[in-house]
Amino acid sequence: MSLLDRTQPPASGEIRQFDFPEVQTGALSNGLDLKICVLPRLPIVSVNLFLRAGEGSLVEGRAGTAVLTGDALEGGTLKRNGSSLAEALEGIGARLGVSTGWEGTSISVSVLADRLPEAFALLAEVTLEPDFPSVEVDRVREQQLAEIRQRSMDPSALASDEVSRRFYAEGLPYARPQVGTESSISSVTRDQIRGYAEACYRPGSGGLIIVGDVDPEQIKSLSSEYFGSWIGAPSAVDNFRVDAQTRERRVWILDRPGSVQSEVRLGHVGVARTTPNYLPLSIGNLLLGGTFTSRLNLNLRERNGFTYGVRSRFSFRSQPGPFQVSTAVGNEVTASAVREILSELESLVVDGVTREEVDAARDYAAGVFGLHLETAGQIASRLNQILVYGLPDDYYHLYRDNIRSVSTEEVTSAVKAHIRPDEVQVVIVGDAESISGSVDALGLGPLEVV
Amino acid sequence: MNQLAIPLERHCLDNGLKIVLSQDSTVPIVAVNIWYGVGSRNELPGHTGFAHLFEHMMFQGSKHVPKNKHFELIERAGGTLNATTWFDRTNYFETVPSRDLELALWLESDRMGWMLPAMDQEKLDNQRDVVKNEKRQRYDNQPYGDWDQRLQALIYPKDHPYHHPVIGSVEDLDAATLEDVAAFFGTYYVPNNAVLTIAGDFDESQVMDLVQRYFGEIEAGAPIPPLPGDSCLEPIIGDTVREHVFAEVPLARVIMGFRIPPYSSEDFAVAEVSRALLGMGRASRLYRALVRERRVAKGVVTYAFPLLTNASMLLTWATGYPDSTPEQLEAALTEEIEALVEARQSEVDRAIALTETDLVRALEHVGERANLLSMFNLYFDDPDRLNHEIDRLRAVTVEQIRDFAASQLGSDNRAVLVYEPKRKS
Repeated sequence: MSLLDRTQPPASGEIRQFDFPEVQTGALSNGLDLKICVLPRLPIVSVNLFLRAGEGSLVEGRAGTAVLTGDALEGGTLKRNGSSLAEALEGIGARLGVSTGWEGTSISVSVLADRLPEAFALLAEVTLEPDFPSVEVDRVREQQLAEIRQRSMDPSALASDEVSRRFYAEGLPYARPQVGTESSISSVTRDQIRGYAEACYRPGSGGLIIVGDVDPEQIKSLSSEYFGSWIGAPSAVDNFRVDAQTRERRVWILDRPGSVQSEVRLGHVGVARTTPNYLPLSIGNLLLGGTFTSRLNLNLRERNGFTYGVRSRFSFRSQPGPFQVSTAVGNEVTASAVREILSELESLVVDGVTREEVDAARDYAAGVFGLHLETAGQIASRLNQILVYGLPDDYYHLYRDNIRSVSTEEVTSAVKAHIRPDEVQVVIVGDAESISGSVDALGLGPLEVV
Repeated sequence: MNQLAIPLERHCLDNGLKIVLSQDSTVPIVAVNIWYGVGSRNELPGHTGFAHLFEHMMFQGSKHVPKNKHFELIERAGGTLNATTWFDRTNYFETVPSRDLELALWLESDRMGWMLPAMDQEKLDNQRDVVKNEKRQRYDNQPYGDWDQRLQALIYPKDHPYHHPVIGSVEDLDAATLEDVAAFFGTYYVPNNAVLTIAGDFDESQVMDLVQRYFGEIEAGAPIPPLPGDSCLEPIIGDTVREHVFAEVPLARVIMGFRIPPYSSEDFAVAEVSRALLGMGRASRLYRALVRERRVAKGVVTYAFPLLTNASMLLTWATGYPDSTPEQLEAALTEEIEALVEARQSEVDRAIALTETDLVRALEHVGERANLLSMFNLYFDDPDRLNHEIDRLRAVTVEQIRDFAASQLGSDNRAVLVYEPKRKS
């Protein structure tokens, strides 16, 4: 056998062009958008109904109502109670999921293609004829309160909630946990849940997405049959203005005595999904802390062994979500880790980015995009993004070309515009006694143990 | 649903490396997946956690691949990668755009054949720190984080290979040396102890040439040594064993585990379907009774571990509300689990329907296809089992489930692990 020269990585083969699959778009007469994508690879279908019923449009005292309403949908319909509903769905192998976010509520079903008509009927029943029996509403509320208690002892959840509280001005939706607070949830009644669904589960500005092994004509007729006579538009929309709590750099240590590790979050208010800088900023974030070989991970994990992993992230929402670096590190290296993170942010905005880094991050983003077009659920969630943020219909068809055309200069100017080391809030959940001295000695700004 | 027909082809190189190929060019991506037949069950006393630490070392470079280059090249190609260590095996996998299949084969073969020349003390020390941080983050700093090691210790006796946790102990990690790394590599990371699966978009006329080119010259190792420790085990625990932990946890949680037949046994399918009746979906017995109707638990979890050596374990847990007592949770769990002796056919049908949907959804990912094919080939020498999984479960009868509940889920085979919030003084 001739020995192979192993010293160089093999060259890539020819690129196989692959487009985002074709999508038929339309709308029912009630304003409900319809997006159908045929994916015949396996006999499975993903259906996703997006309703503009999100936590972002709720006042502080009602926080958590959208989430609770979504969760209570499984409690039963006018035709059957919760257990019978579960039996009807699962009897045909249908997985029902409800997820509620800042922008809206997604009610989704995954089912084998031959059971789609029954699943469609059940999806409509759940959405249009929910019953919200008191006993089920009470249960879902108690579950949510127990969940909040559970979060209060989970260091990572505590850190997320503390980030929201410290980044955003008091009273803004993003300043609170998405699931609401103990005080806002405790008093929610069945009537409020029903009222919320009545007002906000409306077809206007929502959409129905069907991806999988389907016949588009059948989908159109099923959609009209089950959702065609539903009318109205949601009564609330989130159009609040986002303000940071402060522009002064500050350090917050949430004391969790006995912690063997510190959960560290460092960042500030970021930018909305609709920013024209979305692509360059995404590339900038990838090379800062969005991949394994990012600046932050190579420094904190591979060079210093401080952590199992570190990431940075812009949460792009309809309004500016947080930008944050997150990691968990040992008590004794907490201060050093914070120092290293801040240095990385500083050198990023002072020196900008290199062409090599941008090339690598662009190649990663363009390549990995194709890896996420495998499943019906993945395609449906992309189409959902188009609905939620009002992106153009050809957004994902052009995505790769647009990613590849981002320049080094654009990335540098985007990170300079949107990352501000002088304004970061440093949030640490950990054992204050063992870490506060060394963190304070970094002299980053006023430190408060809470 | 009609019979699944995931295509596959099997090969074996002269050095003993088993190959499974599964072509699907719908999307231009390809998954490369290797399972090595080594996990925490192979660890000797004093070396717990080593299989997992070794997995980290496999990313530290090899003779022709500098440190971090593995990640860099795969990410640059637009691929994703990872590895996991478990009781019976360790797997390494990447999914890449199909034009970079050769890159993935180069990387995987270089560390299978030429890992040791790149090892040094600095890398070992660095990854030991990373693993200790992983342990702190995922186990020590988490409420209930030590549940698995406590449960394993209840279900398996001290000298059984499943008695200790995969993550290991800090003392043992501290004791690991470069010589241990070399010995472990030479013993277990040999082609005759591995399965390589390639699934997705590849050129069928060339793929075996590529595999031969990159993996063919790696030398076979010696036969794999027998498992350490005593792996004789009674099929049931013989009693109710328990541990009551007062800890910094927010809510009471009762975890109930049972010894069940090993994954390699025909009877494991009965355990799997029984598990589904108990906890799969919202029409399942435990969700319906404990969460929806009696409202004693805020949530339930069930799982049948697919473990190979002597006996596997079936796990159920219930997390209470602030005012639920562990006694209430345990009583409710016990009652509902014992009631499975009255299982009905309609429940079995529902469990099978949900399982079908879940399996097809998993198979939408080439990475998941590759992973399952590797597993079935390594564990059972039968990758085509993937296409018959559902038949295996469908063949389970309601009578078998009732018998299983009576013989395996009673008080003579029960491990009870209770977490109770520490009372504030």
